[in-house]
Amino acid sequence: MHNKVELTPEAAVRAVMRDILGLSEEQVAEFTAETELFGALPELDSMAVAGLLTELEDRLDIMIEDDEVDGELFETFGNLVAFAEMKVTE
Amino acid sequence: MLVPPLFDEMNRMRKMLVDVMRLLEPLEVGTFLPDLPGINESLTALKQLTLSDWQKSMQACAQQHGISHIASFRGGALAVNKIENANHWIFSPVKGATILRTMMRTRVAADRESGRNTSLADLIGQAKVAPIELAGNILGSKLFMQLNAADIPDMPNQRIVRLESDSKPGDIHIPGSALWLRAEPDDDRAMSSAIAHDIAEWIGT
Repeated sequence: MHNKVELTPEAAVRAVMRDILGLSEEQVAEFTAETELFGALPELDSMAVAGLLTELEDRLDIMIEDDEVDGELFETFGNLVAFAEMKVTE
Repeated sequence: MLVPPLFDEMNRMRKMLVDVMRLLEPLEVGTFLPDLPGINESLTALKQLTLSDWQKSMQACAQQHGISHIASFRGGALAVNKIENANHWIFSPVKGATILRTMMRTRVAADRESGRNTSLADLIGQAKVAPIELAGNILGSKLFMQLNAADIPDMPNQRIVRLESDSKPGDIHIPGSALWLRAEPDDDRAMSSAIAHDIAEWIGT
């Protein structure tokens, strides 16, 4: 058994977005803080969001509570990364 | 014997599983892919089933076919962890509670769209006493509670395979994508090939 190097929250969010949307590494590398998510990406429906939250919990070893999840969180890539960064320091 | 992931994850990874089976054939590894009772084309109602039923059925299946090597994927590993006289190859194993959490979140989102405010804690409370509908599946209380407590298998004869993007411990990390997250079912030929070769090598050793 070997442990891999810890992922940064931003890298984890990028990797999960890539897996949900089926993008290449280059495509997802173009995501900036301003990139719009919910509403702009049709693949990101409520089912995908459910998977995204659980996968982030799993990869970053965090727990996300119901009341922390609102529409604003998924407005932009930057919001989601900022939230993940906040959660890992809790 | 290949044991598929649970619930919707199975649909999203089915193409990959079939690709792996096709790729194993020329490597002289014969495979089959049973359905878990209550899932996919099984005629049994999921509502009546428990995790113990899944474990017993997979054990019976392995016994009947004289299986020495079992490759399970994601939550499928939870259905084979009682089979001690086989070698286990496990792809991206996951706790039962993690699978349930995603399914409960889907239910919370659906409820919210119809104007109801449900929390994860409410759903766990409901599931303890009555069957619960989660993401199109009706789970009995016993199945829910057993899954909620089911941890990642820890067997002496197991090989854990994870994705490179996954920081959790594993015996090998392979490049590929988490197809179980994909919004639409998809495949990843390079990953299927890496999986097939790793399984063939593992059986050969």
